[in-house]
Amino acid sequence: MPVEHLVILGAILFCIGLFVVLTRKNAIAVLIGVELMLNASNINLVAFSHFDPDLLQGQVFALFVITVAAAEAAVALAIVVKVYQYFQTADLDKISELKG
Amino acid sequence: MIELKDLLAPNAFDPLIYWILALFAFPLLSFFTTGLLKDKASVWSSLLLGINTCISGYIAVTYWGEMGTSLKGTWFEIGGTVFNYSFLLDNAALIMLVIVNFISLLVHIFSAEYMRHDKAKPRYYAFLGLFTFSMLGIVLFHNLLFIFIFWELVGLSSYLLIGFWFEKKSASLAANKAFIMNRIGDLGFLTGLMILYTQFETLDLGAIEFMMGESQIEDGNWVVTYFSNGKEVIHVLDGRWLSAAGIALFCGAVGKSAQFPLQIWLPDAMEGPTPVSALIHAATMVAAGVFMLSRVFVLLDAQALEVIAIVGAITALMAAVAALSQFDIKKVLAYSTVSQLGYMVLAMGVGAYDAGLFHLFTHAFFKAGLFLSAGIIIHQLHGLESEGVKFNTQDMRVMGGLKQHLPITFACFVICSLSLAGLPGFSGFLSKEAILINTHAWSVEKGGGYYLIELMAFATVILTAFYIMRAVMLVFTGKFRLPELTGVSDIAGKLKEGNRTLLIPVVILALLSLSFAFGSTFDAETSWLHKAVETPSGAMVPTKYAAVGQAEMLESAGADHIWLAVVSIGLALAGIIAALLIYKPGAKLAEAFDSKREPVSPLVQVSFYHWYQDVLYTKVILKFILTQSKMLAWFDEKILDGCVNLLARTQVVVAHLTGMFDRYIIDGFVHLTAFTSGKVGQLTRSIQTGNVQTYILSAIAMLIMLLLWFAF
Repeated sequence: MPVEHLVILGAILFCIGLFVVLTRKNAIAVLIGVELMLNASNINLVAFSHFDPDLLQGQVFALFVITVAAAEAAVALAIVVKVYQYFQTADLDKISELKG
Repeated sequence: MIELKDLLAPNAFDPLIYWILALFAFPLLSFFTTGLLKDKASVWSSLLLGINTCISGYIAVTYWGEMGTSLKGTWFEIGGTVFNYSFLLDNAALIMLVIVNFISLLVHIFSAEYMRHDKAKPRYYAFLGLFTFSMLGIVLFHNLLFIFIFWELVGLSSYLLIGFWFEKKSASLAANKAFIMNRIGDLGFLTGLMILYTQFETLDLGAIEFMMGESQIEDGNWVVTYFSNGKEVIHVLDGRWLSAAGIALFCGAVGKSAQFPLQIWLPDAMEGPTPVSALIHAATMVAAGVFMLSRVFVLLDAQALEVIAIVGAITALMAAVAALSQFDIKKVLAYSTVSQLGYMVLAMGVGAYDAGLFHLFTHAFFKAGLFLSAGIIIHQLHGLESEGVKFNTQDMRVMGGLKQHLPITFACFVICSLSLAGLPGFSGFLSKEAILINTHAWSVEKGGGYYLIELMAFATVILTAFYIMRAVMLVFTGKFRLPELTGVSDIAGKLKEGNRTLLIPVVILALLSLSFAFGSTFDAETSWLHKAVETPSGAMVPTKYAAVGQAEMLESAGADHIWLAVVSIGLALAGIIAALLIYKPGAKLAEAFDSKREPVSPLVQVSFYHWYQDVLYTKVILKFILTQSKMLAWFDEKILDGCVNLLARTQVVVAHLTGMFDRYIIDGFVHLTAFTSGKVGQLTRSIQTGNVQTYILSAIAMLIMLLLWFAF
């Protein structure tokens, strides 16, 4: 399987994640988008570890990213919960306190 | 060569200073404390004055001597200039001291009854104290600066007392008049002081006299050389300044001693209470002028003396004429005072220092006596006034026949009148005689037109005798005119003699108007009082300018003593007899007197209106000044104010323009800046939507653009 396919898969996944992040109204959905984008990068890391068969640095790094993503998800969900408690909504269009 | 500092050096301590301070302290204490008392004011201030009189008597006896005792000290020093004070107690000062205190005391006692019902009695006594205090300053000090200070105080206190009943318009006007007339004279006095100070750098009279003796006339210049703080100074003034100084000093006396042309304040000063008039006319105020002249006598040169003599003679005659036709008894006496002061000044002018002072002393007693007698009459007549009956208590037209009602007053008044008229046996005769002899000698010495002065002096004798006898006849003889005028027939019965408080001072003064009080009956030369004041033997002014000495003049004129005495007695008798005949009871003029009104014939008007002097001043000087003031006011209002207003208006216009520039240009820039910032802010804030996704979108877009930038 050539690396190009994997990279294209990662790009497609990243674009889907970005689309989700940019278009979804719900904060949870945006978080899901972020997870997609993280995993797209993981695919890239794993794909490029093909060129490093001895050390497999890319794969190890992908493990790290998954760990950090888990932590990120925990923190982000906590924030979302708090935001929901404060604004009584998770709709991002309605949370525009910083509007100039 | 003289050192100025040595002349002004204080002398050794003399306990006399305590006595002098005491003399000042008692009247001043009276001035400050009587205001706090009410009914006791008269007793308290009379007591203080009594103590003062005792002190002055004691000092007079102790220091009676030829040379006089002088006392000097430093007042203060500015740089090298020493201002000192000095007292001189010579015989003249001692006599004045006693007279001032004594007459003031009598006036105090008299006033106790006279002012009994006046509510402002404490104020009255306070002013009397101030008056006495100020007069004592003039008498005791021998420094022109101090004399001037007390001179002004005398002016002030006379102003306060003349205007004592200030609620009367006429009284306050009279007080103003007296004050203003005196100010005019004082201006002259001040000028004299300045001339003397310029030349001698001091106002101490002793020092001035000494340096005047050292000064010389060189080429018509008045030169004096002395050391001032070790430096030799030579002061050169035109010789005419010497005469000017004398005349300027005399101007002060003209104001204060009511001489022509400033004498018009004195008759008006009758608005004050009568005892005050007695004080002003006898011991204080008018005496101050003559006394000051005697103090500066040795500094007067021939020309100044001549002016003084002429002014004195004119005053004497004018006032005597004015006294002839007055209705008001106090006015008669006032003009008489002016006339007698003219005599004193004339005496000073002809170089008869001794005669002038002698007349001042004798006049003090008989004139105070006359005024206080008139005061009794006025006071007793005032007692007759009631709700329905009002009349002018000073008007001789309401009097007449008072001899029966007021016998003691009558006797005193007659004695003082005869003394004034100058009959032998009375004090006035002695002093007037001395003046006439000296005037005669002076006229002989000068010759020519100067006989006119002598003629005026003698004419005044007959006029004096006439007017005072006229007053005596109109007041005391004939029938009492008041009942007829008021229509109340029993009013005459109520008129009683004054009580003891009123009579005692008058009787004392009448007794002192007899010539035996002064130890002589016919010849002034033998009187102890006359001997006490010697004419200084020669003036201090440089010989070229000095007048002929009195002694030489008397000798060269060959003084026809007896002949002159006979003439003057004859004239006085003629005046008296004329008055007796014209105004004897039943005579035409005496009978018609109550219906007399202001005169219409121009000749009598001259007398009645005092030579139209008042009118002249009002019509000419006053009018001139008022017109001038109005012109100045116009100039001030239109031109000066116009300029100021124009300037102000220009300022306002400029200010408006500046305001507009400020508002539109400067503020415009500021607003523009603010507006621009606002717009920019508005533009930029729209970027901040607050929507997270928009931020991310733009970040991604930027990233892509950045990548594209790097890629190509």
